[in-house]
Amino acid sequence: MSATDLPDTTSRRGLLVGLALGLPIVAFGVRGVLVDAARTHPAELSGWIVGSAVATDLLVVPGAVAVGAVAHRFTPRSWWPTVSAALMVSGALILVGWPFVRGYGRDPANPSLLPRDYAAGLALAVAAAWVVAAAVLAARWAARRRR
Amino acid sequence: MPVVRSGGPSVTGVAPAAPTGRGPTRGEPDELRTTRTAAWLGAALGVAFGVCFATGVWSHIAQDPPSWYPPRPAGLYRITQGLHVITGTAAIPLLVAKLWVVHRHLFAWPPVSSGLHAVERLALLPLVGGATFQLLSGTANVARWYPWGFFFPRAHYWVAWITIGALVVHVGAKAAATRDALRPAWRVAPVAARNDHAPPPATGPVPRTVAGATDRRAFLAGVATASGALVVATAGGTVSPLARVSVLAQRRPGFGPQGLPVNKTAVGARVVEAARDPAYRLVVDGAVRRPLSLSVADLLARPQRRATLPIACVEGWSASAEWAGVPVRDLLASAGVRDGAGVTVESLQPSGLYRASEVTPRQVADADTLLAVTVGGEALALDHGYPVRLIGPNRPGVAQTKWVHRLVVR
Repeated sequence: MSATDLPDTTSRRGLLVGLALGLPIVAFGVRGVLVDAARTHPAELSGWIVGSAVATDLLVVPGAVAVGAVAHRFTPRSWWPTVSAALMVSGALILVGWPFVRGYGRDPANPSLLPRDYAAGLALAVAAAWVVAAAVLAARWAARRRR
Repeated sequence: MPVVRSGGPSVTGVAPAAPTGRGPTRGEPDELRTTRTAAWLGAALGVAFGVCFATGVWSHIAQDPPSWYPPRPAGLYRITQGLHVITGTAAIPLLVAKLWVVHRHLFAWPPVSSGLHAVERLALLPLVGGATFQLLSGTANVARWYPWGFFFPRAHYWVAWITIGALVVHVGAKAAATRDALRPAWRVAPVAARNDHAPPPATGPVPRTVAGATDRRAFLAGVATASGALVVATAGGTVSPLARVSVLAQRRPGFGPQGLPVNKTAVGARVVEAARDPAYRLVVDGAVRRPLSLSVADLLARPQRRATLPIACVEGWSASAEWAGVPVRDLLASAGVRDGAGVTVESLQPSGLYRASEVTPRQVADADTLLAVTVGGEALALDHGYPVRLIGPNRPGVAQTKWVHRLVVR
């Protein structure tokens, strides 16, 4: 085989060993889905698996790239590590917090389930991330001025 | 700025022509998309998915326990399941960051360079699809959001095997490059060179430029901060000191009837009438010498045992309480059952997958496996399983059957 038949970072031997060990595990999982079809709904589940990959690769990641690129453009270079961390924290909180804020799982008969005001909590958490980021930048700026 | 290459990034972490801290390209996102960044994130994800898989399979075993499943330590399941949910949540920023770092390879041209490469890339579909689905469905389950028709626990369980199998393939393919990328540059011979048993380049190992190192560390620190923030924001249902700041937690410790959160309500289980019926009797039958039929008063007249045990839900929250009632093994002794018997505990619930649960002989033998009639010294609230519920050490919450009306001895 030629030197370019695999990416630089892929070890041929490792891949072959990985396939030998991993494919039987994948097959076991697929078999489980099919045997348990009444509960796993294989067709619908496949749609969700492929859909999750497509949505992440074509929406979530490019979205993050776009937001990052725009923010990077308008952020002074020395601020960028702090600002990008605050962006990542905000994005993660919003992504995970969304179904809680929407309250899809609320049950009027069970007030102990999803008992909080998640919209207020999410807003507070995102605000806290930016307050911390601002404090970090201010502290750095003050330290530089003293020198 | 490095251009998009189809062959993957160089093993030493940056494109050979990458600038060394010169001018405006420094610190731009593309410079972070290196093998070294991918390697750190990949290693962290490998650990996270390993922990989730192990604790997840453990949880699956605990739901329908085999004879060897240990009843002690009593709080083990709350720890393994808390870890499962916390680790999965922390993995979300890691996975998004990892996919961002390698994103350009998705559209590499030509898409494959050999048959084996096609197989490698094909195996990324169950890996990326499975991993994203696991994190999405797990998070949705914690939010009790079910925008699908399949049964979440089974789908999540079987897809875990598919994902972990695809991860084994990926780890096999990338382990050498990951190890190299996490190692100092002077000890590295490129994987591609080893593939072809070619001597290392005559110029010696390519020195890793240091330009990206500060930015990479800042990027990885940002990702880690996002993971940490998610954990703090969600873990308060099981790590109670975090409860005040866990603004996205599914539960609030101490909030619910008798200070305990409720999973299934009596209304939801359609047991309200049957549970309040004065004619209620707890029946012990099956492989017994003397079948029993006991009223609540009969149960309260028996020696009561107290035990402080947690309810530990698969969704990650847990809460401890002091329960009191009759040990299952005492009831079986009264029914003339030999030692070593197991029991199926049935609820008044007319239907539902969790209307019955299995108690293994080892769990029966544990005196703290109780048919509880009180919690915190009060009769159980209807939503906590009035008149009688099962509570036992190291059992998942769904197997702490409520509104118990029958024990079938096996």
